[in-house]
Amino acid sequence: MSALDASLKLALIGNPNCGKTALFNLLTGSRQKVANYAGVTVERREGALRLEDGRTYSLLDLPGTYSLRITSADEKVARDAILGLLPGEVPPDLLIAVLDATNLRLGLRLVLELRALGRPLLVALNQSDQAKRRGIEIDLVALSRELAAPVIETVAVRRGGADALKQALAQWQGEDRAGALGNTGGSEVDRDAEAIHQRVERILKAAVPKPMPLPIWQDRVDAWVMHPVLGLLTLFLFLFLMFQSVYAWAEPFMNGIEAGVHLLGSAIAWLLPAGVLRSLLIEGVLAGVGSVVVFLPQILLLFLWILALEDSGYLPRAAFLLDRVMRKAGLSGRAFIPLLSSFACAIPGIMATRTIADPRERLLTIMVAPLMTCSARLPVYALVIAAFVPKQTVWGFANLQGLTLFVLYLAGVLSSVLVAVLSKKLGRRQHVYPLLMELPSYRLPSARQLLFGLWERTRIFLHRVGTIILALMILLWLLASFPGAPEGAVQPPIYYSFAGMLGRTLEPLFAPIGFNWQMCIALVPGMAAREVAVGALGTVYALSGSGDEVAQALIPVLSAQWSMATGLAFLAWFVYAPQCLSTLAVAKRETNSWRYPLIMAAYLFALAYLAAWLTFRIATALST
Amino acid sequence: MEPSTQKFHSLDLLPRGCRALLVAIEPVREFGLQDAQVGLRLKELGFVPGVELEVIGHGFFGADPIAVKIGDTKFALRRPEAQKLLVKPL
Repeated sequence: MSALDASLKLALIGNPNCGKTALFNLLTGSRQKVANYAGVTVERREGALRLEDGRTYSLLDLPGTYSLRITSADEKVARDAILGLLPGEVPPDLLIAVLDATNLRLGLRLVLELRALGRPLLVALNQSDQAKRRGIEIDLVALSRELAAPVIETVAVRRGGADALKQALAQWQGEDRAGALGNTGGSEVDRDAEAIHQRVERILKAAVPKPMPLPIWQDRVDAWVMHPVLGLLTLFLFLFLMFQSVYAWAEPFMNGIEAGVHLLGSAIAWLLPAGVLRSLLIEGVLAGVGSVVVFLPQILLLFLWILALEDSGYLPRAAFLLDRVMRKAGLSGRAFIPLLSSFACAIPGIMATRTIADPRERLLTIMVAPLMTCSARLPVYALVIAAFVPKQTVWGFANLQGLTLFVLYLAGVLSSVLVAVLSKKLGRRQHVYPLLMELPSYRLPSARQLLFGLWERTRIFLHRVGTIILALMILLWLLASFPGAPEGAVQPPIYYSFAGMLGRTLEPLFAPIGFNWQMCIALVPGMAAREVAVGALGTVYALSGSGDEVAQALIPVLSAQWSMATGLAFLAWFVYAPQCLSTLAVAKRETNSWRYPLIMAAYLFALAYLAAWLTFRIATALST
Repeated sequence: MEPSTQKFHSLDLLPRGCRALLVAIEPVREFGLQDAQVGLRLKELGFVPGVELEVIGHGFFGADPIAVKIGDTKFALRRPEAQKLLVKPL
């Protein structure tokens, strides 16, 4: 791989949601996240753009911005990168302004601002296929003449859609840098917004002689999904179906994986003699890792929904509907998308808060992001639900297990509202910040993007399984297997092991909420990755068994060993799950202090304990 | 609030489906010192006097926020931003 000290630095800049990151992925072979709403990219990313002749440029992907006059942290990143204001960085040698061909007006005004900088400039007319489909004809020659810069059509979501751009870039270095490309003079520098607007209108008149209105179906969909009553109903229906499908559709795949793990265990038991190695592989690796991998189909189903919603352009409409409710809690529709990303993982969610202009709202969003149920918690929920919630249909149509899952997700959301309302009472309100949120046009989610996104999730999940989870499982197996049981032991050996000692030390603290020492052991490695709690239970119970049998599925073991109250308390604990070290680390980085991550850890722990305690007490009282 | 006696009023008073011409961006109290900044951002997003707007939707509570179509672009505005926009219904 050639070095990234590439001779020249290029930067992609444009409005939010015009397709910069999709273009970046296509040009560099990266796999950064893209979606149909503003603010997916909140940091500067660098990649290598390799041309056919072997030369390599360094390419920057930047957060989207409407203007170089910034209003939020992500826009600041974009502006500072363009102007070379970031520490230790020079301004890019070439700006590639990305325009959304279906929404030229806003893009053109940014291009005019960029031109005023007097830097080499090239314009990529992205989503040109969408524009053509809508019947929008853009006169490239006129546009290029008006902007005094080369204009190249791109389709960032299609393979080969940036070949023309690559060719243009390949020709570039040979020429005098300033001459061939639009090197902008200062004469028409006009920072006045209205004057720029007039100029944009003139350019549009010259380049798009026959403007096409937005297709009528788009307005019809909006009239439905943004309707105050029908819209909210639609939103709830979507969410309901989403959680139902996680249970209804994943089962055959999960059974398949389970059977595979079982088969592997039998094979190992047949091949290896009883002993340390066999125990490590069966009780440590298979019981631990296997019990986590089983949940991959459910995670992927959940992501299929989220990705499809993201790609369609629906999410900002949901944010629109919920803005007023969120405002009551000191948040706004702008916080909706960072919070929604937190359903995947709180880390990108916390990063995405950079799009929130109001510093107080941003902090609040960071603080409540861990209350959104991240995908690492899904295996824990799914395991305990499968063990304790009967598989039955309620109200004639709803699957009770799916409904329970929905309720758990809702519990997280409602808790975040509660926390936000309470913390609003603590701080004083400064001033109002505008919402000003763009509602992008709809598009059909592309199969390529969906598959790409699912593959990406699978890769991340399997990577975690193969690295951190596997390592923790082996470590746990060691701690849970040594030292062995003393003479005349009445309990299984794990009871006397290091892990057992740890679990028994913690037990008095957790006994009031119904947790036994095996569960206490599982909580500790769960701090590094929440799904490890499931794997750890797998290993702990495999080692607690009679020892020689093949690792069996965890679900029946749990339903036999735990009381219903304990199972429900464990679920309640994980709604708050205060034990994710990476979330605390990213909160520290984004707030620049230890104060907030420490408050976060403390309040989550307190809530988890309280919720688990209440659940355990109430469930115990009800069952006697 | 008697629109009939006034020729222009602010965007937040328009019903859904109403088209209007943007006449001016007025200061409002809510944004405090940032009022001019908000006005400028509105202009940057295309809310420039002379353009045509259409109210395409309202939120559930108190008809807030307000969804506005301007050209081919749609935006969600809150009441204070909408109050800055002085319009003439068409």
